[in-house]
Amino acid sequence: MRSWTRASATSREPALAGARVAGGAVTLPARRPESTRPWWADVWIQMLRRKPLGTMGSVIVVVMLVAAVLAEWITPYGFAQTSLRERFISMNGAHWLGTDEIGRDLLTRLIYGARISLYVGFGAVALGSVLATAIGMLSAYFGGRLDLLLQRGVDAWMAFPPLLLLMSIMSMLGPSVWNITIVLGVAFGIQNSRIVRGVALVVKEHTFVESARALGAGHLRTTLTHILPNVMPTLIVVATTGLSTVILTEASLSFLGLGVPPPYPTWGGMLSLAGLDHMYRAPWLAIWPAVALSLAVFGFNMLGDALRDLLDPRLKGG
Amino acid sequence: MKRYILHRVALAIPTLFLVSVIVFALMRFMPGDVATRMVEGHAYAPTLKALRHDLGLDRPVHVQYFDWIGGIVLRGDFGQSYWTRQPILEEFVRRFPVTLELAALTILVSVVLGVAVGIVSAVRQDSASDYVGRVLAILALSVPYFGLAVLVVVLPSIYFKWTPVWTYVAFSADPLANLKIMLVPALVFGVTRAGPIMRIMRSALLDVLRQDYIRTAWSKGLGERTIILRHALKNAMIPVISLIGLQAPLYIGGSVIIESIFRLPGVGLFFFEALTRLDYPVVQSVNLIIAAMVVGLNLLIDLSYAFLDPRIRY
Repeated sequence: MRSWTRASATSREPALAGARVAGGAVTLPARRPESTRPWWADVWIQMLRRKPLGTMGSVIVVVMLVAAVLAEWITPYGFAQTSLRERFISMNGAHWLGTDEIGRDLLTRLIYGARISLYVGFGAVALGSVLATAIGMLSAYFGGRLDLLLQRGVDAWMAFPPLLLLMSIMSMLGPSVWNITIVLGVAFGIQNSRIVRGVALVVKEHTFVESARALGAGHLRTTLTHILPNVMPTLIVVATTGLSTVILTEASLSFLGLGVPPPYPTWGGMLSLAGLDHMYRAPWLAIWPAVALSLAVFGFNMLGDALRDLLDPRLKGG
Repeated sequence: MKRYILHRVALAIPTLFLVSVIVFALMRFMPGDVATRMVEGHAYAPTLKALRHDLGLDRPVHVQYFDWIGGIVLRGDFGQSYWTRQPILEEFVRRFPVTLELAALTILVSVVLGVAVGIVSAVRQDSASDYVGRVLAILALSVPYFGLAVLVVVLPSIYFKWTPVWTYVAFSADPLANLKIMLVPALVFGVTRAGPIMRIMRSALLDVLRQDYIRTAWSKGLGERTIILRHALKNAMIPVISLIGLQAPLYIGGSVIIESIFRLPGVGLFFFEALTRLDYPVVQSVNLIIAAMVVGLNLLIDLSYAFLDPRIRY
């Protein structure tokens, strides 16, 4: 990662998002004069040119996405298809990564595991982003007593070690894909509402918000069409960097048996203590899920870092 | 200073009150039911109704809440486990040293590694060692600690015929044997936590090294070692300390997993066992005690800034 640059750390207008903060004033986002591309295309071009690690991260994420979507077509076995004659087979032509204690193909289960991880990850982050925006913008826009009340609630939530609280909730609700997605989404939303609130507080003070109000825009219109677009770059960054955390948390909970229940294959569940005895016999059962999980976290981390540098340098190191 | 501390403590009270309401509500309004499990699986009482009465679960919810919170505030009584009838505070105090030792060793490992690599990276910016350090930090960030822990437990026993020691020995009984047991978990957990510390150390030090007083120090003719270790490092440590503070809850959450992998009888394992048995009072009280500790720790960390940077006053 490059060192802090004074100019971007102090300036209010980040490199690319600046175009939108400055230009989102009334109607159209301002474009740089020489460019007719939409702003997000610029982001990708900058990523390819200046961020090799970010590009690598995007490639990993895209490969994971494709594998997850096409799981049925690229895997020759079913994820719960057992074969008692083929237990604990190490890597060979038929089973590239070997099989587990009841003869299920490990590679197949890893690919389906990517699907679950992404499903829970994207679901939770989408839900969480909406929640974070709602709480953060309400708190920042109306301020006063509502702000105080909401923020004390957020304070209380943040006083818990996150994993402890999530474990408590999941053990009460019982493990299921739906439960964990919703619980992780709510947790993500409450945590990140702070960041949205911070940005919205700054945006709210711009003159264009005042002008919009003076022109007769209602609260809903002001927040949704004038403030929200300027909060968007930050939100995108928070969501991308949050994906790796959410995926890792889901894996931790599944590891403890509180996340996604069997027979769904999840990376955390495959690593879990329940299978420890089998791992002594077949170490690949421990190695490959750990590698898959690390790669996914690496990919999302690098992508998130690069996007943060390009979209919102103010968040750097945060 | 004194006023600031009082102010912060006063702010902590409503926060902790809300925390207690949240954990209590979670335990009572979510679908899991401890009584059913105790009667059906383990025959703790002849009927559900008798057990509920016995545990006080048939009383109105607000009465139960005030009974619990009143016991804590008025008598320092954190209640007792439904299953074992043992007082919770006693058990917590007995097990806490294990978790504290694990956390302290983990923080030690991650700070020593992270700060050392971070300093080298910053001072030799864009050199080969900087590059290696940054790649290592990214790797450490990406590998989940429980995955690494499972690999450390499984692989050496297969390939080197070496297994980490499983039976726990208290520090007071045999300090050396105890450290031997704690070393592997602390290393595993610490290495994965060193990544973020290294990254923040590096960027903070780079930032400080560009400031005027460092240029003054150079022009006075001071040596590199003095400038970095005596002048720059203390200032650059502030973001590192706040990161450790921010991560303290992660250490506690992680200790649940680490303790269950390495069979360490700490608070984490206590909490996890209580969770799997839906032991309401234990889950509530442990959550509340730990939340109070997190709030207190954050205050301590804020106060430590004044020590590190005398310009900060409260």
